[in-house]
Amino acid sequence: MKTDTAAVPASAATFEPRITAFVCNWCTYAGADLAGTSRLQYAPNMRIIKLPCTGRIDPLFVLKAFENGADAVLVSGCHPGDCHYTSGNYHARRRWTMFRKLLAMTGIDDDRLFFSWVSAAEGQKFADLVNDVTAKVRKAGPFRASNPGRKEC
Amino acid sequence: MLAALRDAAKKLLDEKRAVLVIGYADRAGRPALFASKPEDCGRLVYDASCRQNLAAYLGKPEVRARMPVAIVAPPAVLRSIVVLTAESQVATGQVLALAVDQDSFLGTFDAAAAAELLRAKYPALGPAPDLLERVQGLSKKSAAERAAFWAEEFTKCTRCYACRAACPGCYCTRCIVEKNAPQWVSTAALGHGNYTWNVMRAFHQSGRCTLCGACEAACPQGLPLMTLNALLDREALEEFDARPGYDPQAKPFIGSWDAQDDHSYMR
Amino acid sequence: MKTIETSRLTDLAQALSAAGYRVVAPVAEGGVVRLREWTKGLEIALEAVPVNSMKDFLFPRSEVVARFALQEEGGFTPATNERSTPKTVVLGARPCDAAALPALDAVFNWDYRDGAYNARREAVTIMSLACAKADEHCFCTSVGGAPDGIAGADAILRPADGGKRLVFEPLTEKGRALIPAAAGTLAEGTAATQTPVAPPRRFDPEAVGRWLAANFDSPFWKEASLACLGCGACAYACPVCHCFDLQDESDRRECRRLRNWDSCGFGLFTLHASGHNPRPDQSARWRQRVTHKFSIYPQRFKTLACTGCGRCSRLCQAGMAIAETCQRIEALGR
Repeated sequence: MKTDTAAVPASAATFEPRITAFVCNWCTYAGADLAGTSRLQYAPNMRIIKLPCTGRIDPLFVLKAFENGADAVLVSGCHPGDCHYTSGNYHARRRWTMFRKLLAMTGIDDDRLFFSWVSAAEGQKFADLVNDVTAKVRKAGPFRASNPGRKEC
Repeated sequence: MLAALRDAAKKLLDEKRAVLVIGYADRAGRPALFASKPEDCGRLVYDASCRQNLAAYLGKPEVRARMPVAIVAPPAVLRSIVVLTAESQVATGQVLALAVDQDSFLGTFDAAAAAELLRAKYPALGPAPDLLERVQGLSKKSAAERAAFWAEEFTKCTRCYACRAACPGCYCTRCIVEKNAPQWVSTAALGHGNYTWNVMRAFHQSGRCTLCGACEAACPQGLPLMTLNALLDREALEEFDARPGYDPQAKPFIGSWDAQDDHSYMR
Repeated sequence: MKTIETSRLTDLAQALSAAGYRVVAPVAEGGVVRLREWTKGLEIALEAVPVNSMKDFLFPRSEVVARFALQEEGGFTPATNERSTPKTVVLGARPCDAAALPALDAVFNWDYRDGAYNARREAVTIMSLACAKADEHCFCTSVGGAPDGIAGADAILRPADGGKRLVFEPLTEKGRALIPAAAGTLAEGTAATQTPVAPPRRFDPEAVGRWLAANFDSPFWKEASLACLGCGACAYACPVCHCFDLQDESDRRECRRLRNWDSCGFGLFTLHASGHNPRPDQSARWRQRVTHKFSIYPQRFKTLACTGCGRCSRLCQAGMAIAETCQRIEALGR
């Protein structure tokens, strides 16, 4: 009774990770844009979801991404002190410190869940980050079968 | 001890310092006893088999309509009353604690005095050794083993929400699972919904859980819910020195921040 | 007389399994006894009423009742929803669980014949195990049942010889169909079945029903429901409760319509889209629960919606005990 949101082959040779990224509009999204306009090459596996601020990212969104078949999730926002809304990323940071421990306890470790600060000027950092994360997830393999919160119907 | 507890409860009703006393009844399972007449207080008991956190009743409109309320409160429940005060769910004077521990009746306290008592007599409440052992045991396993453990446990969850009902920290009038525009958390008692529900409920208690254990006691399926709560309790303490229930004016843990919070794991 | 040693019940389970039956049996795990799919090596636990009822296997907590596939050009078409229940034996069901089946059969074949329920009902054979004792929560004898009741069962095992042996008695065609598979583990012989210790009768359900029908607005409910925190543990553990919620879950390819358990104890159970809630507080909801089981249901289906298994009060942390409520109602009625 398994359904899949896309026919992703499971063999290691052809496994293309599906990574969901929740990023803030003012820093990381702009940094991603800069990577694009600078014609930097980076892996196409990341689907970016733009939010006004990392403070808006409910941990529930991360779980939803995994539930819907993501092999990994990246959360990225403004550096501390640079938040467009002053303190949104500080609120987020405290949440993530707790949340990642909770997820690690249930088997979702830091080879599936990534956090970063990427500013609007850091196009190269963004490209490097995407390439690095994608490589790590490719190595970790597909997550669906071992995801403790996977869909069963 | 019981005589002192019963007398104190009776006195509160006699003097109209409380309209309702909530304690434990002398029946198997120690269900809640609601005493509005002084003579009912003679039936109050307290012992180790009392597992409900009676502060959970502070969320019920029928109880709020009969404030001031006095609650028989072992240390974990005292902490719950302090947390609810810090979160502005109860106002000063609305709740009195009839503080007990396994051997003695400690007196009648409002939230501020209860916090003082906790700081003086129980300054470092934390998970019991066997519970810590559960957390540490799982931590030593591989990620795949941990995932498999919880996937197996959560197949038993029927989404009865007894855990939520038993918890004084779960007082949302409309829980996230009851919101359907969009339906963020699947209501199906299947893997994805069960994982999200149990993990999010634990997360919503981080820095707020007083380790009363009522959720695990209420779970009809015997899920090891306290393992998640104990983990977050220790993390909140180690990372942020968070001790819920010791200060009725504490800022909410997840709602506040410090410029020095750790972010070594951020790339 | 066909008998089996109680200690060799797992041999019977194994024989049925080898004959192609999926075997469901009570197993102790994580500090509770749970009815679950039995596999070789598991001990069958008879010491307590399982926390879940047989209902799980006829009317599961969540099941897909329809699927719709998204078309490339837009729009949805119905897709195949495969559902198959392997032939199953529930080995060691309690008579109070089996007694729920006539009540469930009635509602699932009332104004609509429920295909999902009926398919499972057809595939499942119930082998009850008569209870040797009762605990303080049991009250089958108050609602027309008995520790060795046969209502709803296809076969029954009765304790004999001081509990050392069980006497097998088929009750229906389905029960007789078990014999070829079970034959190797059953011995021919005689054994003295013991009279079970029945829980004392605590109330008269007809008297309760009469009071309920005449006292809808009684202030009794406000105080009686004060301890209830409105979770679904009682409804979900109950072998007769059958309310459900339909939920659609979809992704870009498919929509799945799920049928999930629901409980009349939940605050939002009767919330209308307008915002009006005809059962706005817990006293209205507790009144509904008791009235449905002891007044409305019997009026419609000529059977109570309660078999006295006691799970609801055994599991309720708040101490809500439906038998006690009925006793108090009967006292009010006198």
